[in-house]
Amino acid sequence: MTLMTESQQLAYANAQAADGRVNVELETDDGMVLNMGPQHPATHGTLRIIARLDGEQVTSADVMCGYMHRGYEKLCEVRTYPQVTTLVNRIDWLGSFANEVPFILAAEQLMEIEAPPRAMWIRTILFELSRIANVSLFIGDLALQLGAQTPAFLAFRDREFVLNQIESVTGGRFHPNFDRIGGLKDDLPKGWIADTKAAMGRLRSFCDDMEGLVYGNEIFQTRTRGIGVIPAHVAQSYGLSGANLRGSGVDWDLRRDANVGLAYDQLDWKVWTHPDGDSFSRCWVRLQEVREATKIVDQLCDGLPSGPIMAKVPRIIKVPAGEAYVATENPLGAMGYYVVSRGDIGPFRVKIRSASFNNISIAPWLLRGVYVPDIIAILASLYFILGDIDR
Amino acid sequence: MGLVEKGLLPKPLTKLLNLSRKYSVWTYQWGLACCAIEMGAALAAPRYDVMRLGVIPFPASPRQADLVIISGTVTDKIVPAIRRLYEQMPDPKYVISMGSCTNCGGPYWDSYSVTKGVDQIVPVDVYVPGCPPRPEALLEGIVLLQERIQNEDMQKRWAGETRGEPIVVG
Amino acid sequence: MADDTATTDAPEATSDVVTDERREALLAVFVEHLGDGVIEHHLKPGAGLWVRVATEAWALAAEVARDKAGLRWFDFLTAVDWLPSPYGRYEDSAVDVPFPPPMPERSAAVPGYAGGDSRIQVLASVAKAGTDLRVILKVDVPDDDPRIATWSGIFAGAAWHEREAHEMFGIAFDGNADLRHIYLPTEFEGHPLRKEFPLLARVVKPWPGIVDVEPMPGGDDEDDAEATEAEGGDA
Repeated sequence: MTLMTESQQLAYANAQAADGRVNVELETDDGMVLNMGPQHPATHGTLRIIARLDGEQVTSADVMCGYMHRGYEKLCEVRTYPQVTTLVNRIDWLGSFANEVPFILAAEQLMEIEAPPRAMWIRTILFELSRIANVSLFIGDLALQLGAQTPAFLAFRDREFVLNQIESVTGGRFHPNFDRIGGLKDDLPKGWIADTKAAMGRLRSFCDDMEGLVYGNEIFQTRTRGIGVIPAHVAQSYGLSGANLRGSGVDWDLRRDANVGLAYDQLDWKVWTHPDGDSFSRCWVRLQEVREATKIVDQLCDGLPSGPIMAKVPRIIKVPAGEAYVATENPLGAMGYYVVSRGDIGPFRVKIRSASFNNISIAPWLLRGVYVPDIIAILASLYFILGDIDR
Repeated sequence: MGLVEKGLLPKPLTKLLNLSRKYSVWTYQWGLACCAIEMGAALAAPRYDVMRLGVIPFPASPRQADLVIISGTVTDKIVPAIRRLYEQMPDPKYVISMGSCTNCGGPYWDSYSVTKGVDQIVPVDVYVPGCPPRPEALLEGIVLLQERIQNEDMQKRWAGETRGEPIVVG
Repeated sequence: MADDTATTDAPEATSDVVTDERREALLAVFVEHLGDGVIEHHLKPGAGLWVRVATEAWALAAEVARDKAGLRWFDFLTAVDWLPSPYGRYEDSAVDVPFPPPMPERSAAVPGYAGGDSRIQVLASVAKAGTDLRVILKVDVPDDDPRIATWSGIFAGAAWHEREAHEMFGIAFDGNADLRHIYLPTEFEGHPLRKEFPLLARVVKPWPGIVDVEPMPGGDDEDDAEATEAEGGDA
């Protein structure tokens, strides 16, 4: 039994034909065409790069995405507000909890309710834990793409400690679905704070290891320093965010500058920037952010206020009519939800502004003129997740 | 393998061949979405260490693989690529479908761009449910597949007669 | 939050409304440089500023935002279809209702903040790096020929967003040469985010859990829940 509709079957046949055409990997009429993807070890999933080469140099590169397009924005329109978090978890699958937060905050803004302080603090903790889970794997993956295997094993090993902590609160390693409009599903389990602080210690030593093993490595530096330079004004006009923007010297972090109720303004922490704008600076900023995040989590654990974790909300959530846009500084960059409500149990329209979509849209500009091996290094340093590009 | 095709293979030799196939499953990782990370944790992370089961997770190409693990959301746009991949693999080949999306569409059951189940495109031997399944679940799927390989009647398999009912983990 | 702000051209601050000088100054920049191009605005103090500009002034609005207002960081560009979906929330299966159901009246399309006259509106967000200042610009696109000027010359990042909006809503962007499909296969038919686009899986099999209730810790709004449950319907 097939569920394929007629148009899907047509699309299938046509995609097959298109695939047959483009899959001639080496065309030689006008330079050489190099096809990477849709499934390629160096593209973190199903991104496809079609580069036209002159010798070893890229003359133009086309990025084809959409192999992971799952139609979130349409699906959000037919789901209720509590059901949406289940979906949006899966956008940036390495830092799932961080995807829920801006959506919930937008819905809370429309309903004009505020989560109690303890819920906000726990949200902030989980938000930072997902940043660590996300970016620590990035560091391992980065090294893998440049030819070193050990850091990937180390990253997978140390990431497990963070995932264990997330799992013991939320019940899910990957997709917690823990955030609720008005608070959180549950409180922290007993003994969790001490375990988390121990895990943070391990992650800090992981960062130290990586700093020596990867960032101090001569090969790594040669392959990333001065490669893929993005000037600040170009970064802004493409809407780059997160470490990609701060790696170009723009001092902007939504956690500090546009805080939307999370506990960041009560903590002592630093926004890292790097003036160079090359691949190395982007990777370096990310490493510092992991280390900073471990310190943030420590402070949050120390100062956790007591009290309820859930505000008073009706059991069936109807969000009053209005529009709200809330963006937060997610592991990959600025992620925002533009929620249009019509007073119904589900949103009327949700626009998901995901960081990777903007971050990768600079690739055709950035890849022009680079050498073939640098494609890998540049894409790795831009750091995207396919679900976050294609949604 | 002329003997196998003719059905002249003595039982002990079949057993030996099956044993060697069982403990050298070259696995191609077709990671598509969230499940790919859990697959990575199962196949490449030190905690789960899949090589102790006799699974070699890094073939250079699908042409060298015995098993493909399709993990993640299959969209209509990627479908032709999956079909091509499957056709490139040499027989006997096995498919593990990992995660709800690959099994049946999962949370995207009503999406306009997601294929509801990879079994519409390629035959599946093992279904691993979960969203995403824990690495242990994937390992169990691999172990169950290995059991099936061990008891396989190679002659029938070569003749393409049956691959048996799919295994569902859990 | 007091969001009943005046929707006039000039920024006004009445005594009972929380004022937001920074966003008002931002609005003044747009009014100064676009003149009649600013049709309506909506200001939520401390939360956001929505400005609706005339269709002809769309490209100019981008230049003003970047060069005059200092909003150099491109956030996103998208569109909204204000018509309600003819399928509702797919509570009824195709057995009960004819397929496709009749489209709602054109008058059922009610615009959001800052008003609007067309069924589909394009909206874009630009922000100032280092601050929380952001403007959401809206523009009407004609119903019969959805077409608008491109922003890709001003904000390079808009090119991909316009491709997406073209694919999802069928809006043409004059001046953007590359409007190929970005997500869907080349021959995909229809524009998924338009409200008349059906989710066929739902038409075939309506979702049983239209109302899902989870017991909240400490919450006991039984009466309220029952009241809403009755109208929420058992699907």
